[in-house]
Amino acid sequence: MIGAGIKRGTAELAVLSILEEGPLHGYEMARRIEEQTKGALRFTLAALYPMLYRMEQRGWIRGNWETSGNGRRRRCYRLTPAGKKKLSPLRKEWAELFSALRQLGKVANA
Amino acid sequence: MPDWQKLVRQRLSGLALDAPDKEEVHAELAVHLEETYETLLREGMLEPDAIHRALSLANDWQNLQRRIQIAKTKENIMNDRVKQFWFPSLLTLLLTMGLLMLIQLFGPNPAIIGLHDRNGWSLILPVSVVYLPWLLALPLIGALGAFLSYRSGGSQRAVFSSILFPVLPYLVFFLIGLPMIIILNHHIAHNIMFSALFVGFFGWVLAPGAALLAGGQLAKIFLSRRLDSRRIASN
Repeated sequence: MIGAGIKRGTAELAVLSILEEGPLHGYEMARRIEEQTKGALRFTLAALYPMLYRMEQRGWIRGNWETSGNGRRRRCYRLTPAGKKKLSPLRKEWAELFSALRQLGKVANA
Repeated sequence: MPDWQKLVRQRLSGLALDAPDKEEVHAELAVHLEETYETLLREGMLEPDAIHRALSLANDWQNLQRRIQIAKTKENIMNDRVKQFWFPSLLTLLLTMGLLMLIQLFGPNPAIIGLHDRNGWSLILPVSVVYLPWLLALPLIGALGAFLSYRSGGSQRAVFSSILFPVLPYLVFFLIGLPMIIILNHHIAHNIMFSALFVGFFGWVLAPGAALLAGGQLAKIFLSRRLDSRRIASN
């Protein structure tokens, strides 16, 4: 299980990555992230929505109300050009961190 | 089926946002809970359990409300660096300078001491009358800087810098001034007394720095203990 501090750091990357696949509303976003990470990243409302609002304020994502086939209105979020721009350095940073941790693991196991 | 909008509205009634913004938040969270509830029912869970489980997604509604409030409002006005460093630092600088000015203008007005020197009478105001009350008030300003920076989630470095920011201009002055004086001392008509410079360094950098730091560190210790006790209580 991933610790809370690391989860916080990865949450923004997870949201940006999942939105890269296409627009999604909050519930579906949380469900897909949980599914794709095999339950390692699970969002409560207090973790997901304040983060989405913050990312929207920063201009990384944009939310719009849309009506689905069953008539339910949901707020769908899309990645903005600024969000796409943010995604690649963020991915790079995390990749570097994981690579460093793997190296550390190798040293410890040597 | 429960009225999810109503349930969310009741639990987030204290959300201080514009009415349309507030409605949007309520509606969005209600849809999320409703979808969770419906999924749980489809998976075979009983209705009361599904309601309970969906509502438990928020965990702590007060915390959720506070976090939404911060995300929707404060982010607009100030980014983290401004909140954690620039605002507390500039406020402590302003208060430190303003206080000195106020003490000079409205503080005690003692009799001016007359000194007889080689050139005749010269009149000086006792420095301590202005300086000491100022110095004694500095721990409070340091504590305020630490409080503002710490409350906004400032790092150790940001809190420390916010506390000591008012003495930085003087420190820079002495760091630049001292070497220059050492170099130029023999080329100027009136030699500057090094002892006076060191007294100045002590009076405007070291002593105020220590006073600010004393107040700031105490505030930081107090705040971190309070936060720890809250965490323990919430666990």
